[in-house]
Amino acid sequence: MSHDTLVRPAAQGLPEQRGRRRPPSFRRQGRAAHVFLLPFLLGLVLITAVPLLASLYLSFTDYDLLHDPELIGLDNFRRMVEDERFWASVGVTLRYVLVSVPLQLAFALLLAVVLDRGMRGLALYRSAFYLPSLLGSSVAVAILWRQLFGHEGLVNSVLGWFGVTGESWLQNPDTALSTLVVLNVWTFGSPMIIFLAGLRQIPEELYEAARVDGAGRVRQFWSVTVPLLTPIVFFNLVLQTIGAFQAFTQAHIISSGQGGPLDSTLFYTLYLYQQGFQSFNMGYASAMAWVLLLVIAVVTAGHFLLSRYWVFYGDER
Amino acid sequence: MDHLNRRRFMQLVGLGALGAAGTTALTACGGGSGGNSIRYAWWGDTVRQQKYTAALEAFAQQNPGVEVRPEFADYDAFQERITVQTAGRDVPDVFWIPSPHVMSYHDAGLYRRLDDIPSLDLSAFSAAQLDSFKIDGELNTLPRSVLTAAVRFNQTFLDEAGAQLPADDAQNWTWDRLSEFLIDYSRDAPPGRKGIHYNAQTDLCFEAWLRQHGQDLWTADGRMGFDAAALAGWFEWWEVLRRAGAATNLSEQEGAQPEWPVVGDKVLVTFGNSNHIADEAPMFPDYEFGLRPMPVLPDAAAGHRFGYLSRIAVYQGIDDESVDLAGRLVQFNINDPQMLQLVGLSVGAPANPAMLRAAYDVANEDEKKMLAVVERELAEEQKPRYEAPAGSGTWRSIMTRGVEEVALERASVSDAAARVIADIDRELGQAS
Repeated sequence: MSHDTLVRPAAQGLPEQRGRRRPPSFRRQGRAAHVFLLPFLLGLVLITAVPLLASLYLSFTDYDLLHDPELIGLDNFRRMVEDERFWASVGVTLRYVLVSVPLQLAFALLLAVVLDRGMRGLALYRSAFYLPSLLGSSVAVAILWRQLFGHEGLVNSVLGWFGVTGESWLQNPDTALSTLVVLNVWTFGSPMIIFLAGLRQIPEELYEAARVDGAGRVRQFWSVTVPLLTPIVFFNLVLQTIGAFQAFTQAHIISSGQGGPLDSTLFYTLYLYQQGFQSFNMGYASAMAWVLLLVIAVVTAGHFLLSRYWVFYGDER
Repeated sequence: MDHLNRRRFMQLVGLGALGAAGTTALTACGGGSGGNSIRYAWWGDTVRQQKYTAALEAFAQQNPGVEVRPEFADYDAFQERITVQTAGRDVPDVFWIPSPHVMSYHDAGLYRRLDDIPSLDLSAFSAAQLDSFKIDGELNTLPRSVLTAAVRFNQTFLDEAGAQLPADDAQNWTWDRLSEFLIDYSRDAPPGRKGIHYNAQTDLCFEAWLRQHGQDLWTADGRMGFDAAALAGWFEWWEVLRRAGAATNLSEQEGAQPEWPVVGDKVLVTFGNSNHIADEAPMFPDYEFGLRPMPVLPDAAAGHRFGYLSRIAVYQGIDDESVDLAGRLVQFNINDPQMLQLVGLSVGAPANPAMLRAAYDVANEDEKKMLAVVERELAEEQKPRYEAPAGSGTWRSIMTRGVEEVALERASVSDAAARVIADIDRELGQAS
């Protein structure tokens, strides 16, 4: 490789002096860049920014979609304080986030460590374990879950072999949310692949050094693998937490859009949807959406603040 | 790529952008309907979608040069979509009206008056009928069908058990006698089978209960027409059956709103809308089903019988040049026997008396049972019935939570009833 090949082609055309008029070729490149950026920018403005700002406005209005919005100040936000179902949905969502995210990450890390040991058929296993993530929180999977955990589902059939007569897991308020947690944990493929990539980046010499020092596998895991993997854990934690706060499809399908039984699967987003598109309280739903956005932002900021105490980047702490 | 230099590429991009802009503009222009095209929105399942699509094609053949643009959706999605369309003032020209939103859409000014459209012939209806269809004194919707509350029973199961339902007369076909019969039947029923599935949130049957108790679902001034005592009585009727093992529990039927394929071969009797027999009986072709009106209290209030009118409307904001075509399409829906032949009776009995008679010619055996029950119900004295007011759109969900509280034994019947009343009241208050 010659030295010339390392020179970025774009640098060759840079002006030598500030203030000098840019050559026509540069301006043409700039125009081309803008043309290529235009679709994205149009989408950003029309599909994201404008609706975002519109929903911010609507959050201060009484708007039922059928009539013009009417400004009501902070009433929608005050209403949340007194809304029992709002707090029920907050409770369900927090329980879901706090239980399903750590479980999913732990499961993904465990599988990644196992797969990283160079077993035969690794690619096959990797693909097989990733498959549920491709299906994700799809309608098909949610329907499958109904078949598994229903009154006459597979789980109860298996329990029946041992003489256990089970009720429908989805129709019991004490177990319905757990089935959705299991569903989320089952879609561990995406964080697992990321963990696997992170594991491949850990230098083998560190394990050799640990072995020389007498460290067993468990000690190697906790003293070498985990510390060096913390940036990946952090990345997965942030992504999965945000995703869990926004969980919707699985509860919508499994509970037929009700969040039942007895609001036990009433996720925040499901209640938001009910308010917006079933009760047609679009102003209230918009206010709820902004509260969710702020909560996710605060939680994510909290993750970043706390990360300085437990995430290791190279030799920095 | 050798021939695609930058200039040529930019030209293509420019052409593409122009094309996209043009398409967008044309699409925007197509938001309204011209005089020769019309948008028609309805709901249902796949079978109904196919039947109505065929009917709309037949309408287009009857009216050469006319294009009908169908807008179909599942019932819940339909409500969401049309409400969003209302927000964007992009409502279909002719549309079905979901029962919880008859008054909401009226308040939003969606309905155009129908008695001034020359292409729409209303002569099949009597003046009294037309009067009963009016909302706030204006004929701005028309019934495309009539539904009644009904009891469907599995005659095959009855024959297998050598049993008979209580006689279909005022002395025997009562709520108490039916309850006793279902409990008796369930005691000796084959394993896995029960008398009835727990369907306490079915609205028309609940409304029948209320009207027999001298109450209403909704009042003329847009409020709840029933009290906690009547609701508690309804819940208790179901709880007696559940506690006696005569009704499936929520686990067995997978929720408070059971799906017919889940419970169809598990129960003897089903409460529901009269029209459901048309779609649901064929799902179990080995069984013969029968249909009856609801049981009646011995001291039922006069005029408790009723039929629910499932309505169709023309959008208030329709282009003037499309009004005539919209009238023809509504006419096709409510007056044309060809429509009946193509779509069948899954939406209920025709509201048009002439079409009701014609329906017997196209009805199958199950549908004839439905027609007979509806005719029998409508032949009785009826006090007025009022549509669901604005803000009542979620009352079914509230009811479902009440049913869950009771059936899962998380609340007493009286507490659950009081909570349902309070929640519906709050929803109505927020909408007013």
